[in-house]
Order: sequence, then C-alpha cells, then structure tokens
Amino acid sequence: MLHIEGLHATAGGEPVLRGVDLVVRRGEVHAVMGPNGSGKSTLTNVLAGRPGYEVTAGGVSLDGEDLLALTPEDRARRGVFMAFQYPVEIPGVSNMEFLKAALDSRNAALGRPALSAVEFLKLARAAAERLGLGPEFGKRGVNEGFSGGEKKRNEILQMLLLEPRLALLDETDSGLDIDSLRTVAAGVNAFAGADNAIVLVTHYARLLEHIVPDRVHVLVAGRIAQSGDKSFALEIEAKGYGWLTAPA
Amino acid sequence: MNASVAQAFREATERHAAEYAPWLDRHPSRAALASAALPEPRTEAWRHTNPNRWYGAARPVPRRRLDAQGTAGVRIIPFEDADGENRRLINGHLNATLDRARHPLANVNDILLDRGVLLRMHRGATPAEVTLGDMGGGYERVLVLVEAGASCVLTERPAAPRQRMVEIVLAPDATLRHLRLQPPSDAAEHHLVSVQVDAGATYALTQCGGGAPFRRSDVHIEATGAGADITVRSAYRLGGGQHLDTQLTVCHAAPAATSRQFVRGAVGAAARAVFDGRIHIAPEGQQAAATLTAKHLLLAPDAAAYAKPELMIYANDVKCAHGATMGELDDDALFYLHSRGVGGEQARQLLVAGFLKEALGEGIDDAVLAVLGMAP
Repeated sequence: MLHIEGLHATAGGEPVLRGVDLVVRRGEVHAVMGPNGSGKSTLTNVLAGRPGYEVTAGGVSLDGEDLLALTPEDRARRGVFMAFQYPVEIPGVSNMEFLKAALDSRNAALGRPALSAVEFLKLARAAAERLGLGPEFGKRGVNEGFSGGEKKRNEILQMLLLEPRLALLDETDSGLDIDSLRTVAAGVNAFAGADNAIVLVTHYARLLEHIVPDRVHVLVAGRIAQSGDKSFALEIEAKGYGWLTAPA
Repeated sequence: MNASVAQAFREATERHAAEYAPWLDRHPSRAALASAALPEPRTEAWRHTNPNRWYGAARPVPRRRLDAQGTAGVRIIPFEDADGENRRLINGHLNATLDRARHPLANVNDILLDRGVLLRMHRGATPAEVTLGDMGGGYERVLVLVEAGASCVLTERPAAPRQRMVEIVLAPDATLRHLRLQPPSDAAEHHLVSVQVDAGATYALTQCGGGAPFRRSDVHIEATGAGADITVRSAYRLGGGQHLDTQLTVCHAAPAATSRQFVRGAVGAAARAVFDGRIHIAPEGQQAAATLTAKHLLLAPDAAAYAKPELMIYANDVKCAHGATMGELDDDALFYLHSRGVGGEQARQLLVAGFLKEALGEGIDDAVLAVLGMAP
C-alpha cells in the first residue's frame, strides 16, 4: 500500500531524513520509534505534505500513486490522515462545522453522497461519546481550550469519522494519562482493519502495550537503523536507543 | 486646495433652505457650524480617511419612503407627522447628545436632514422590536427614546444614505439590543451613532457588515448613570478596494459602569480598515471596568488596516484593558484544514468566518451571519 523509497527530506531547511525505506501493507500496523531528533515527526509531516518540509530525494507512493505530487488536501481526500502531535486550536470554527467540512470532502472523494445534517450529527455525536468527549464538544471551537488528552481524543475521533486508508499517528500517546491512553488505544484498535494501515510514531513502548504492532522500526539520524516484530519494542524499552546506530 | 472643498461644502450647507420639518430648531446648529472646523484631510481624526471624498460625492435624491416596522410597545413617528409633544421631544434632543466640537458633521445633519424618525419604546410584557430599513433619505436622523425599565430590540439596515445620525437615550434600567447591519454598498456614507446609557441601563450594540468606497462610522456611547452596562460587538469584512473607518468611543461619565468592546475586521484585496477605539474614563467614572480588543486579519498583500486602541483615564479606581492585533491567516490552522481534505478557498473562508464570529459572542442572529456573507 505505502512504499517509501530512499526518502530524503529537510525540515526548515535542515536535512533530517537521509534515506528512509519502508513498505507498509494493507492491514498492517507499523510503529516507528527513535530518539529525539531522529526524524520520526518529519516522516509523518512529509507524508501529510506539511509546508516547511521538503523532499530532496526519493519517492513515496500510495497504492501506486505518487503521493508527493499531491497537495495536502488531495492526499487527505485520497485517504491519508495524520493525527497531529500538537493539534491546532481554531477559535470561532466549531468542531461540528470542521468535522462536517472534512467529512463532506472525504465522501465526495469516495463518490459517496454527502450526509444530511441530521445523519452527520448522529454519527459525530456517537463518535464523540465513544471517545469520552462531552456533549458540549460539538459547539466548542476546534480544540479550543481542550486539555492535551481531549485534543488527542479529537484526533482519533476525526480518524474514525474519515475512515482513511493510511493513518499516521504522530506521538498520539504524548501527554496522555492512563485513562486517555486506553480510550485512544481502543479507538485505534477499533479502526484498524484489513482495508487500512497505520503508522504510529512514538517515543515509548508504553503505547505498544495497548496497540500491538506488526512491525517496529527504529529511526536513527534519519534512517531506519533496525526493524523487528513487537518484541523488538520491549528490547528497546529495556536497552534504550544508544546501542543502535544509523546504517552506513 | 483641500481646505476649499470643506469650505465649499460648508457654504452650500449654510445656504441650504430647509424644507423638511421646518419646525426643527436648526438655529443652534447653524451657529455651531459657522464656528466649527469641518474635518479636512489633515485633521487628526480623519488622517486615514479623506473627508473631501465625502463632501464631493454625489448627493442621493431623497426617495420619500420609510421602511420601518415595529411590534406593540413602540411608536414610530416620522418627523413630518410629529405633533406638538413629539416636536418638543425632537427639538429638545437635537443638538444635545453629542459633543459638536468633536463631531462637527452632526451640525450638518441637523441642517440638511431630509428624513427623520422618532422611535419611542415603552415598557411592556414582551420586548418592543423595531426594524428600520431604508428611510428613503439622503441625510437621515433617528431619535430613539427608551423608557425606564423597557426592554427593546432595534435592528437597523441603512440603505446607503449619505449620512445617517442615530441618537439613543436609555432611561434608567432600560435595555436595548441594537443591531446595525450594513451590507456592502457603492456609496459614500457617513454614520454617526450617539448613545446615552442611564443608571442601571444596558446597551448592547452589534455592528457588522461590509464596506463601501467610503464608509465612515463614528460611534459615541456614554454611561451617564451609575452601573450602566455597555457591550459593543463589531465585525466587518472588506474587499475589492473598500474603505471602512470606525471611530468608537465608550465614555464612563458615571460610577461603577461596565463596558466591553470586541472588534474583528477581515480586510481583503486593496481594501482599507481604520479603527480607532477609545475608552474614556471621566473623573466621575470611578469603579469602571472596561475592556477593548480589536483584531484585524489581512487577507491580501495590498490590504491595509490601521488600528489605534486608546485609554484616557481621569479616575483612579478603575479596571481597564485594551489590546490590538493584526496578522494573516494562521499557516498551522490552514494546514490543519488541508490535512483534513478541506482545501483552497473553502479553508480560507472557514477561518475568516471563525475569526469574525469571535467578536459576536453566543447566539449569533442569522441576519448577522448573512450580512457577513456566512451561512447560518
């Protein structure tokens, strides 16, 4: 599904990714771990098309389509979703307005009819309830005044509604207490299925106790230093990152 | 050269023989005009808005039609129909509510007005409501008297008058919700709003809309009684070379009054927004609590906004705060929308609408959204 080949990229003009190769198949969950500054967030941001991140070499395809040739909004319409490490607050734009615009866009891209306001509200309220976001959630501004945990749960809510093909979760576990972590993990597990794939970026193996990955990769200095199955995460948790070095 | 435009305008005004409501006592205004300095391009309060463009603009032909509807509890009295008592009320307020040295163009309205209406709003079981649309004039005058304890709503939709002056007097414990809806126009407009808020009274103004080739809006609100409460919400969206100059003053001239002002402007291509907001605490205004925030969004490289929030405090026991910001659409917010498949103009419009709504508070009227070009 996702093919990343020899990907080099800069963030703010500085080289960060120095040749990432990664293949993610439909139905798989991949964890990307690594020390601070190794390029984990740069990888997800490059895949989502964030301005300020520039690809200098290599390529990325999603089901055979050149992902890097698409605008961020077209990537989203094709089913790429990034859960932000720091979700953005947009005062004045309500969560419901925002979700409806996003869902309408995704449905149009899938050739599905737009939901009526009533259908949409029903769907969105059920999803909000499932993630423990209160009844006032819909009226509030996007992420406005949300706690860290609420913001991350809102990201997962959007993922559930938009049903992406490829979900990129950028440190979705950071700043979560144990209850929020469980709620978020339950949302991700409910989403994971045979038709989609998940790449989750994390510092700690803690998240991987709740979301079991098929593959675990460690990024060091902008390249994947080593990959393994889920037991590899436990090894890293025990030994740290110091013993891993970037491949030549 | 510039001064001569103002001078020519003054002379034309002085020569004007009033035909409309000839019983109006225009003598004090004529005397005041003779000694007043009319705004000129170099006048400080007009430094970003050339008054010559207004003096020289074509005068609209009065259309002699008054579009006003009211519920029970309000009397709508066109000046031409006013009887003895109402004539006395009107003359009593003419030239009385506004500092003519600061607002010399009020004298012009007194002399040239060709359409006037008195709204008397009374206390009742349900709030009195008035909708005032096109008054059919060039120089229009609205006098609103809200009775003690009355609770009322006034919705104004001026139809591009050359000048509309609105004077509002709230008696003690009265409440007025005042909506001024101003869609974009292609005229040169001057608006003057003067409000007196007596003890325990509440005045809430929502003024919003678009721009015009020339639109100047002077708003002066004064707390004249203890515990008066004033809220101003203003949102505007300018585009296509439009010009809007808003001069807003809230004056605390009595103790323990509270006021808050929220202003948001979105300025598009070749458009210009000018906003001067002043909180004035007079020596009598002890225990004032007053805030003002003004934010502008510049949506094009050639958009311009000039904002000047001011505090003038002559009392020592007050709580006041003011602030202004100016910026472009937030790149992170734009990317957040893009990353959810909401692209291009739709993303920009969502952010602009959200920005403007911030000024409008809870429970925004559909009419307010419509005049700002937003879907309900």
